[in-house]
Amino acid sequence: MLKLKNVLANFKKQFLSISKHPYFGFIVLGLIFLFALFLRNMGLLTISVINTFTLVMIYSVVAMGFSLLLGFGGLASLGTAGLVGLGSFIMGYFHGIGGMSFGMTIVISIIIALAVGLLVGFISLRIEGMYLAIITLGLGEMLRQFFISYDTFTGGFTGTSLRSFKIFGKLFESGNDNYFNTVYIIVIICFILAMVATINIIKSPTGRALLSMKNSESAAQSMGISIIKYRLLAFILSSVFAVLGGVLYILHTKFSYPPQWNLSYSLDILAAVIVGGAQSIYGIIIGVFLIFGLKVSVLNYIPFFSNNPALIVIFNGVLIVLVVMFYPGGLIRLLQTSWFKLKIKLAKIKMKWRTYRYGKDDE
Amino acid sequence: MPGIDVAVRQILIIILGLIAIYAALDLFWLRKQTHKSLYRSRALNVLIVLSILTMIVISARLFTLPIIIQILLLNTIDLSILILATTAVVLIFKTSVTTNFAQGMMATFGAFFAASVVMKLIDNGSTNMTLILFAGLFAGIVISFLLGLFIDVMIIRKGKNVNSVGKQMITMGLVMVIMGIIPVIFGSNPIVLPAFSVDVKIFNIGDYPMVIPVQNLYAIAITVIVLAALFIALRFTKWGLGVRATASSETIASMMGVNTHVITAMSWAIAGGLGAIAAFFYASMGTQVQVASMVPVQVNAFMAAVLGSFGSFGGSIIGAILINVFSSIAPYYNGTWQLVIVYGIILLIVLAKPLGLFGKKIAKKV
Repeated sequence: MLKLKNVLANFKKQFLSISKHPYFGFIVLGLIFLFALFLRNMGLLTISVINTFTLVMIYSVVAMGFSLLLGFGGLASLGTAGLVGLGSFIMGYFHGIGGMSFGMTIVISIIIALAVGLLVGFISLRIEGMYLAIITLGLGEMLRQFFISYDTFTGGFTGTSLRSFKIFGKLFESGNDNYFNTVYIIVIICFILAMVATINIIKSPTGRALLSMKNSESAAQSMGISIIKYRLLAFILSSVFAVLGGVLYILHTKFSYPPQWNLSYSLDILAAVIVGGAQSIYGIIIGVFLIFGLKVSVLNYIPFFSNNPALIVIFNGVLIVLVVMFYPGGLIRLLQTSWFKLKIKLAKIKMKWRTYRYGKDDE
Repeated sequence: MPGIDVAVRQILIIILGLIAIYAALDLFWLRKQTHKSLYRSRALNVLIVLSILTMIVISARLFTLPIIIQILLLNTIDLSILILATTAVVLIFKTSVTTNFAQGMMATFGAFFAASVVMKLIDNGSTNMTLILFAGLFAGIVISFLLGLFIDVMIIRKGKNVNSVGKQMITMGLVMVIMGIIPVIFGSNPIVLPAFSVDVKIFNIGDYPMVIPVQNLYAIAITVIVLAALFIALRFTKWGLGVRATASSETIASMMGVNTHVITAMSWAIAGGLGAIAAFFYASMGTQVQVASMVPVQVNAFMAAVLGSFGSFGGSIIGAILINVFSSIAPYYNGTWQLVIVYGIILLIVLAKPLGLFGKKIAKKV
């Protein structure tokens, strides 16, 4: 009996030490999403909810890259949509039409993302602040125009569609459950990997350097941080994340058409990062869920909103405005502070109960 | 890549030539000067002006000058819309230090209101079309004015220590709110908004007959009157002085007794009004008001403000004119790649002059 208790205590101690590790939360989150797939296969969840989850995960990958740029590098960019679109078209063209292998396509997309990131990074060395945001907006519009005009690559207005993909020698045809489940699992794996990569970047000297660059460039430079290197790095990282997000996007939705990668998509990503909290991974996921997923997974089930679709847009807008006005650190900051306050309240109640139970301490 | 033809090759040659000239200047002349940065910026200005002139000369040789003038005349309505939108963006940037993404939506709201007023008046049996349209325009301006006032007083100002990216986000949220509200108030279909006139006016320049739509003349006249009034107000009234003071430093201006709240509120309101005029004419171009119609204009206005510099009204107007000239001539070179050509040129100019053509470098305190 005593032995069992010891084992249990030991187990609890080990569990607690594991649960402190940052990866623990990510894996739990991944398992929750995986569990949703099981529920769907049992018929308890509708397919639209799973679709929403997939989109939330894909856009979270994009938003994490963006938060490295905005939350850590302090560089605003509005060209995200173009990069995500680029990723989707690379996948559609090289893998879908060209018949290149999956791994090779990923390598090509990363190389192209590196090139674009380097280009924008070099531009950012000369142009700063609001000007940079608007110039990247222009770059995004240029990319969109490029997608529309260069129709051998993207299919012009009709867009590209991906009928099947091949991974590890197995062919997956779209339209059946097998395809759906495989893509969902690939997305979960990429999502977890992206979170792991992001937290490693944040906690490493690179992340610290980016943060110091955000707070004061002159101070960072005087401490020996190379602005050129870290700006380029920030842009390269964010564009790689965005392009990979695009690759995942076309795997999931099976099509991509140029006019969809417009300014409002970039602004939505920006809004998700700001609303959730630009410096926290969970914050970003919450933000992405609020902006992209709330409508399909929650609001459509409330009759008040499903009867008036215009109200959903208003609701989203009001939410963004209120969060930015009153919680500049994002929703995650609100959750953290309220959790902290709750903890203090609980401690006080415990104290009161103790004085009631055991009497007051003598002075 | 398809579509690389004469124009793109010429532009590439001009750009490479400029870079070569600049490199030569840098090697043989600039490095020996004592005030390097001053001479460098002057040399860049001269080179940019030269390159723009060369482009115009080349395109004039390609199309002959009268055709270019004709193209520009037909695009004057775009030009007035762009100038109004740019001025509104710069006005808000000067006082609130943020780029207002809701500018287009505020304007569209005004245009919707104007169109519905026009429809009401026509239904009630009024016959004088010009008068009706002016009434509608006035109503649109007033409603956008009030909307701008409301946004600044009730929303932007109430935010708790919101920085400039935060303000940007608020305006983005407002885009969504207004986008949702428009169908609730005005119905989900686009509203028809007739033009002042569908006639054209024909006149001669030299031996060449020129055509200009009368609608363009209305747009130019209204733009010139409004902008003249605005610039006179900026130059000679107390509000204008306040705007200039707030633009240089909001804190110090408020310490010197400038009521910065009134100044920013008025700027938002006036920007709303300017936007309403722009959206009114933009809608009459496509004969109906749509929710998303002002987005490309807004993007162009941002680009114009960057090109000319956010700091000066005159500079941003010149930026708007340049963008209009580029984007009206570009389609005749190459229809599919016009946006890429125009934005590429802007990008190159901004790379050479990071603060815009007329921007002044402000020394930052570390």
